[in-house]
Amino acid sequence: MKPALFTVQDLHVREGNFQLCDIGFTLEESQYLVILGPTGCGKSMLLETLAGLRYPKGGKMFLRGREITLLAPESRKFGFAYQDSLLFPFLNVKDNILFAVRSHKNRLESSIMKRVDELTEAMRITHLLDRYPQFLSGGEKQRVSLARALLSKPPLLLLDEPLSSLDPQTRSSIKELLRTIHDSEELGIIHVTHDFNEALQLGTHLLVMDQGRILRQGKVEDVFFRPSSKYLADFFMEENILQGRIEWRNGQAWFRQAGSPVEFGPLKRKKIPEKYPDEVALLIHAGDLSLSRANGYEESKANNWYGLIERVVNFSTHLEVVCSGNGKYKAILSNNEWKELDLQSGSRVRISVDVEDLHILPD
Amino acid sequence: MALEQNNRTTFRDNSRSLLIGCFWLLFIFLVLFILLLIGGLLNYANWETVKTVLRQEEFHFALFFTLWTSVLATGLAALFALPAAYILSRYKIPGKAFVDTLLDIPIVLPPLVSGIALLILFGPVLGGFLTALGLDIVFSSSGVVIAQWFIATPYAVRIMKQAFDGIDPRMENIARTLGYTPGNVFGKVTLPLAKNGIINGLIMTWTRTIGEFGATAMLAGITRMKTETLSVAIFLNMSMGDLKFAISTAIVMLLMALVSLITLKFFLKQEVIRF
Repeated sequence: MKPALFTVQDLHVREGNFQLCDIGFTLEESQYLVILGPTGCGKSMLLETLAGLRYPKGGKMFLRGREITLLAPESRKFGFAYQDSLLFPFLNVKDNILFAVRSHKNRLESSIMKRVDELTEAMRITHLLDRYPQFLSGGEKQRVSLARALLSKPPLLLLDEPLSSLDPQTRSSIKELLRTIHDSEELGIIHVTHDFNEALQLGTHLLVMDQGRILRQGKVEDVFFRPSSKYLADFFMEENILQGRIEWRNGQAWFRQAGSPVEFGPLKRKKIPEKYPDEVALLIHAGDLSLSRANGYEESKANNWYGLIERVVNFSTHLEVVCSGNGKYKAILSNNEWKELDLQSGSRVRISVDVEDLHILPD
Repeated sequence: MALEQNNRTTFRDNSRSLLIGCFWLLFIFLVLFILLLIGGLLNYANWETVKTVLRQEEFHFALFFTLWTSVLATGLAALFALPAAYILSRYKIPGKAFVDTLLDIPIVLPPLVSGIALLILFGPVLGGFLTALGLDIVFSSSGVVIAQWFIATPYAVRIMKQAFDGIDPRMENIARTLGYTPGNVFGKVTLPLAKNGIINGLIMTWTRTIGEFGATAMLAGITRMKTETLSVAIFLNMSMGDLKFAISTAIVMLLMALVSLITLKFFLKQEVIRF
C-alpha cells in the first residue's frame, strides 16, 4: 500500500508554559487540510513544528513513509508562507522568488527560469518582477510569497493564516489562487486559520484545535455540519442550538425543548449517541430551517412552530432572518425565497425543520 | 454643565499648549547651544595658524596614529560585538540579564577607572605572561588600541543588538524552509537586514574610539610622538600652554565627527529611500 503523504503521530511540543499534546493526523496525497482554532490555540506553533522550525519533545513525523522528525527545515524543503508575506526587502520580486535556488546554485538553468515564468504567470505577477516588496500591495506580496514557496516544487505547502491580513476582494482572489495551486501543483496543503469560512471554502479535510489539543478531525462536511459537541457547534457559531432532553415514546425518541411545547422527532436512531446525559443539545443549521407564511393561529406541532420575524440582515448573496418564538432562531434564505414570502420585520411566520436535519450533540 | 465641561477642556488645552511651548523653548535652546559651541570654536581659531599646525610633524603623527588605532579598534570591536549582539538578541541564555549588565560596565564606568582596571590587568596580573609572549601592552601603541576597543565595544554591542532585535525571526525561518542552513541564513538574510544598524554601530564606535582619552592615558600613557592620539595631543599642548595647536587639533576632530555623522545620515537616508 502506498504510504500517506504526511503522517504525524503523538506530537508533543513545549514552549514556556504552553504545550501541544497528542497531535496526530494523516494527510493523503493532494489533500487540503485546514487547521482551525481560536487565536492562541497553538496552530502556528504546530505549523512551525511540521516545517522543522521547532523541535518536538515527543512524537514522530513521516513524509511518504520516511521518518523526518529530526530533519532540519532546509532538508525538508516544505513550502511555507506566513500571513504577512515576509518578503526580503533587500531583494526585488524576481530575486525573492529565486531565493530558494540561490542557496545551492549560482547559475540559473533554463528549467528554473521556465518554472519562474510558469509560476509568475499563474500568480499574475509577471509585471512586478523588478519591483521591491515595499512597492507592492498586500495581495501582490502574498502572491509573490506563494510563488517563492512553490519554486522548488515542495511536496507539502504550509500556510500560516495566509488570508487574514488581506481586504475582502483580495482575499477572494487569493482563495481562488490557492484552489488553482492545489489542483495544478498536485501537492498537499496544510492551511492554518481561525476563520471557518476559509475552512469550508478551501479544505477537503478539517482539524479543529483548542488549547494545544485536537478537538476533532475529519472531512470538512463531517466536522463542520455534524459537530460532535456543543463546544464545537458554538465554535462554528451555530446559533440554533436548543437545550432539552430526549424522551422515548413507543420505541421512538423525541427531543423536547426545555420550557417549550415544541418537540422534534422522531429522531433517527443512528443520530442518537449511545450514551447521553439527561440534558442534551439539539443543533439545527440555519440553512435547514424553512419559513412560510402563517395562515391563522394553528397549534405548534412536531418540528413546526410559529414565531415573529425580529430582524432581517441583507447580505449580497443571501438573507439572514432572525425569528423569535419559543427561543430565537436564525434562518438563511435566498433572495428569491424571501421575495416569494413577501414578509417583513414583525410578521408572524411558520418555522419548520425536516427530521433529517436534526442533530443531537453528544456532549 | 456643558459650559463647565467646555471650560475644563479649554483649561486642559491651555496647559497642554503651555507644556508644548516649554518643550519648544528647551529644544531651541539646546540646538542654539550646540551651534554656539561650534561657532565659538571656529570663530576663535586663526585659520593661518590652523594651516601651520596642519603642516607640523606632531600633528601628522597624532592624526595618522589616531586613524590607524581607531580603525583597528573599531574592527576588533565589530569582531566581538557582532556575535555578542546576535547571541544576546536571539538566544535565551542563563543569566542573560547579568551578562547584559556586565557588557554595559565600560559604558557606565568613568574612562579613568576603566583605564586603571586595564592597567592592573595588563600590568601586574598578565604583564609577565604577555611580556614572555613578546606582547607589550602597557605604555605602547597596542595599549591605545586595547583601551579604545574596551571603551567602544559595548556601544557597538548595544547598537548592533538593536539592529538584530528589529529583524522578525520569521524572516530567518522562511529562509530555512527555502533550503538555507543557519550559517547561510545569517549571511544571506540576517546581515543584509541588519546592515543599516551595523553600519550605524560601526560609525558610532569609530567616533567613540577617536575621542577616547581617559582609559588610553591610563593604559598607554601620554607620550609625545609615541602614544599621542589627537585627544592626547590636545591635552599635552593645552597643559604646556600651546593653545593654538590644541584649538587647531580640536577643530580637525570636530570636522572629522561632523563628516562621519553626515556620511552616516546620508547613507541611511539613501537606504530608507531604497527600502
